Amino acid sequence: MRFPEVKQQNRKMLILFLAGLILTLILMSLPLYSFDIGIYTKKSANTFVGDEKYQTVRAEVEEVAEDYRAQGFDVEIQESVLERVNSKGKTTSLVTFTVAQRYSRNLFSFLGKGFPSSTVLAAMLVLMLLALILELAGLKGTDDLLPRYLDKRTARLRSGAIAALVLALLLVPVFILMNNVFFFRRLSLYSAGLITEGKDIFFARLDRFFFDGQMGENAEEALAGLKINHSPMLWLMMLTLFVSFVAAISLRHGEIKSGLLRGALYVFVVIVCLITLYPYYVMTITAFRSNAETLDMYFLHMTPTKWLWSNLTDIVQRGVPRYLLNSLFVAGGATALAMLCGIPAAYAMARMNFVGKKAFLGFVIMSQMFSPVVLLIGISQLMNTLHLNNTLWGLMLINAAFNQAFAIWLLRGTFVSISSEMEQAAMIDGCGTVGALLKVLLPVSAPGIVTALIFVFINAWNEYTIATVLISTAQNRPITVGITQFSSFNMIEWQYMFAASLLATIPVVILFMSIEKHLTAGLTSGGVKG
Amino acid sequence: MKKKIFALFLIVALMVCMVPAAFAADDEITLDVIICQYGPNTNDWFLGKGMDGSNFVEKFEAANPGIKLNLDVVSWNDVYTEVDTRIANNNAPDILNIDVFANYANEGLLMPVKDYCPDDLFEDFFPSFIEQSVIDDTVWAVPDLASARALFYNVDILKEVGVEVPTTWAELQDVSQAIIDFYDGEIYPWGIDMTTDEGQAAFAYYTWGNGGGFVDEKGEWAVNSPENVEAIEYAISLIEDGYTNPNPATQTRYDLQDMFAAGKLAMLIAPNQLPTYVADKGGEINMATAGLPANEGKTSSSVGVMDRVMAFKDEAAPDQEARNEAIGKFLKFFYDPENYVGWVSMEGFLPAVNSAVEALVKADPSFEAWLDVLGGCQFYPAAKAEWDQVKQGVIAAEQNALTGADVQAELDALQAELTK
Amino acid sequence: MNTGLNRTKWEPYIWLLPSLLLISIFVVFPILIVFKLSFSEISKAGVIGGFVGFDNYVEAVHLPAFKTVMLNTLWWVLSVVVLSTVLGFIIAMVLNQKFRGRKIARSILVFPWATSLVIQASVWNYIIKYEYGNLNNVLLNLGIIQQAINWRSSYQIEFVWECWVGIFVTVPFVTFCVLSGLQSIDDSLYEAAIMDGAGFWDKLRHVTLPMVKPSLTVSTVLNIIYVFNSFPIVYTMTKGAPAHKTDTMITYLYMLSFYERKKGPATALSVIGFLILCLCAGIYMISVMRKEEQL
Repeated sequence: MRFPEVKQQNRKMLILFLAGLILTLILMSLPLYSFDIGIYTKKSANTFVGDEKYQTVRAEVEEVAEDYRAQGFDVEIQESVLERVNSKGKTTSLVTFTVAQRYSRNLFSFLGKGFPSSTVLAAMLVLMLLALILELAGLKGTDDLLPRYLDKRTARLRSGAIAALVLALLLVPVFILMNNVFFFRRLSLYSAGLITEGKDIFFARLDRFFFDGQMGENAEEALAGLKINHSPMLWLMMLTLFVSFVAAISLRHGEIKSGLLRGALYVFVVIVCLITLYPYYVMTITAFRSNAETLDMYFLHMTPTKWLWSNLTDIVQRGVPRYLLNSLFVAGGATALAMLCGIPAAYAMARMNFVGKKAFLGFVIMSQMFSPVVLLIGISQLMNTLHLNNTLWGLMLINAAFNQAFAIWLLRGTFVSISSEMEQAAMIDGCGTVGALLKVLLPVSAPGIVTALIFVFINAWNEYTIATVLISTAQNRPITVGITQFSSFNMIEWQYMFAASLLATIPVVILFMSIEKHLTAGLTSGGVKG
Repeated sequence: MKKKIFALFLIVALMVCMVPAAFAADDEITLDVIICQYGPNTNDWFLGKGMDGSNFVEKFEAANPGIKLNLDVVSWNDVYTEVDTRIANNNAPDILNIDVFANYANEGLLMPVKDYCPDDLFEDFFPSFIEQSVIDDTVWAVPDLASARALFYNVDILKEVGVEVPTTWAELQDVSQAIIDFYDGEIYPWGIDMTTDEGQAAFAYYTWGNGGGFVDEKGEWAVNSPENVEAIEYAISLIEDGYTNPNPATQTRYDLQDMFAAGKLAMLIAPNQLPTYVADKGGEINMATAGLPANEGKTSSSVGVMDRVMAFKDEAAPDQEARNEAIGKFLKFFYDPENYVGWVSMEGFLPAVNSAVEALVKADPSFEAWLDVLGGCQFYPAAKAEWDQVKQGVIAAEQNALTGADVQAELDALQAELTK
Repeated sequence: MNTGLNRTKWEPYIWLLPSLLLISIFVVFPILIVFKLSFSEISKAGVIGGFVGFDNYVEAVHLPAFKTVMLNTLWWVLSVVVLSTVLGFIIAMVLNQKFRGRKIARSILVFPWATSLVIQASVWNYIIKYEYGNLNNVLLNLGIIQQAINWRSSYQIEFVWECWVGIFVTVPFVTFCVLSGLQSIDDSLYEAAIMDGAGFWDKLRHVTLPMVKPSLTVSTVLNIIYVFNSFPIVYTMTKGAPAHKTDTMITYLYMLSFYERKKGPATALSVIGFLILCLCAGIYMISVMRKEEQL
């Protein structure tokens, strides 16, 4: 089945695809980067912008700049103002004029200079080339076929082009970031003397880039006032590549909408995941830092210079495994108890009619409306009476009770959303109410039950306030209380705190992941049986 | 009927859980002790392996058969909560280590120190410390340790800028301006902590340096004196002029000390253990100490902070005498130089008993100078019943002033509430 | 809703009994004590005295920070509950699609919920520190900013950060409540809707929303309560500084009780909070239940 109109449509898209790539290359060859290197500086104290002194100094600086221009330098004047009010209410102002030489560069001039961004740029070009080749190969001889009739190989080629383009697209911000890091961040660290490693190579490279290696030893001095300006036009590259990307999707899927939706979905998920993971990234890298490096006030290292695994052994020494076990015991027990009491109650709420149903619901919800913080005195009095003070059992019961409302409400919601026909059928078949609940309702409502289960477990695992008051010996502390020993009167030991936090988080995550599998399984099996 | 069995099972399970857990043996005395967590090793020393491979509780129980310790090390964040809750339930600890005592004493919860403290130990405490825990001529608590605050400065920074350590408020402003100019604002000249944790210390630093303070000469509350208003306005002006750390309401002492250790802060008022702290953080700061700057014509006084150990009444105890004796034994064991010296030097504080001085000075000669400073220190009026309220009140006043409120009005309101 | 099979009158109550017992003993009893305390004199150290009528309530309402704290609480609950419900719903819709890596995404999303609030608040507290915080570190080292930024330059901004952490930890709960509702929707319902020519919005309005409504109701009611009663975030990040301007009701009454030692008014305040919550959650609940019954 070959269609001439498909061929025409595909040709249009191919042109769009090529146009995007060509526009990108054009942008790359424009001098979009400019660097200012200060060659003359004049500071003027007690000067305010526009006043007499300012005018005189400004004129003086203009003259200097003219001199340079006459010699054929491309220079411009920059000024910065530092204003400050002192405690006597007087404003002081310092104006700094800089005559800077401007160096403009296009992107191709970064190639092969040994900068980190050179590699990125090269990779970007290769990917663009790859996309082009794949697309052309994928179109050859099949350009009049509807996408759904493509053979596997061709479909893969066209998909490959999309993938290559996406990667190239993502490399644009990477390239810009890397240039910022290299030309600004590294340079400022070197000139402040905060790092020295690799300094010679660094300046040699810059020397080659700006002065064709003429400066030699003097490069460091000459580059002291380097400022990088990139044109906003650079970001247009993302747009031009995006045009190619859209064209490629259309060539692969026939219609743009579904492809874009899918792309948007991935972008959304990735962004959400990245934001979610960020604190855990911080936790992890901080957990392996040395005490001094947790307070990196010059922001020298993004990751630990040395990964200190000894932090983990240190916290093990300081009782963390014991605390974890206590937490596991309390949270596990509380979950079991909360479900044992909660499922029957939720079942009754969902399936039976009786006097006082609303009252019970109100009662359950009301029981949640006091924060544990407020109830401390009452709880502690109760525990004294029951002789459960400073025991894990007491903590377990409290947690189970405090999570009743959550459990009952979640489960009731799930039960209500499931039709009662199946249970009725089961009951007619001779199952009792209990049998119908266990054999029919529970498997079908597995997702809801798992949610409730996880919720109760996590709540109990994370409970902090009651535990601080109820537990008064070290061997009974749950992990949340145990962690507080790392933030003492004298210092906060961020690295230990976060290492312990990691250990406290991992079990819950593992639990969740393992249950998640059963969750889907439970779903399908329930469906099949039904 | 399956469901009935099911329900019954649940009820039984619930009941079983509630069976009383354990009862203490009767011939033993058990002392409930709460200790505050001072440093990273406190927990380990009392309960872990931090005391020569053993710990305080084990050693004490071995040395004093018949007395069991139920000792908990509680973080400063939670200790008030725990203690107050236990008091509300008539379940106060036997021995408590904390900073405040006046409320407990005024409400008749504490035992006078002479009831349980052996005489030889009582003689051993610095008299000037004991005085801080007297209400109505009765001593209600004994000091466990103290710290003295001084001005620490980064010698290298001041040298590079070419300025001397400020001794007056005017000098402090000049020096700060010089540091700001020299480093283009990269380094904060002066540290101020007006957080909810420690804002009362800032109040003391500035008001005492201006001849003011929490109380007047007669010992009555006088938080809104003209000297105090001037002092707090001065402190706020330092912040507004950009001479200090940027967020004084939330930047705690740790934050300031960390900045100092990283060479980002030139001067701060800190407790005597700052050098140890800086060394622990891997900082190599060339630092020195000086007196706190005062207003022109006023003299500054050092600020001392002291924590206490106290014993609560327990009417229900079967044998009061044996209980008192046990508490005495606890104190005796705790203040025994063999144990106490190790603890004080581990925490980096200053001792409260004479018998510990010799050994501590031998271990670290700089202690001697600090003990001198401590001799001339002024302490918070913690023996007055309204101290908690004043403490939170001055902090609130400072923090309100930070957001633009009028200092005079804030302090007037606090004073009015106190004299109501 | 009744299955119509013969049940004895008292049977439902047996099903409720275990739960009822558990709640009565461990939650209601302490609540009753709080009610009693709010009418009693309580000393600074916590000794409980005699009956004083409404004195504590009068004192509580006249506290200087009362109004600020009430407004803060309102903002806190509104912003966190509304934003996290909207965000959570969107994320759940996305995660309910079939795509590669869905399982991993779901597991990642549960992280904030699986981490204790104390830890979560400490981490964020560390992240937004001006002098050595990780946010400045990352942004500087990636060259996105050229100067460290003071992320907490005013208490208003700090309060926004606290709300952000609140949203961050609440979203997963909403997401999973909605997801569990979405998963119990039969695909045939959607197919039928598509047959009828329904677009995305029609499907959302007529199939998805009605089906996830029970779960969404639960999560919203619980979130209102949960967020209102949330303590560690504010306490860890600012302790209400400066002068209770970032406090919510729960942290404020904690500070009142244990720092300022005004225990009577603090207890009265907690009862006031309880009544407000009852009112809000009650109205919401009743209105939702009524609609449900009409179905």
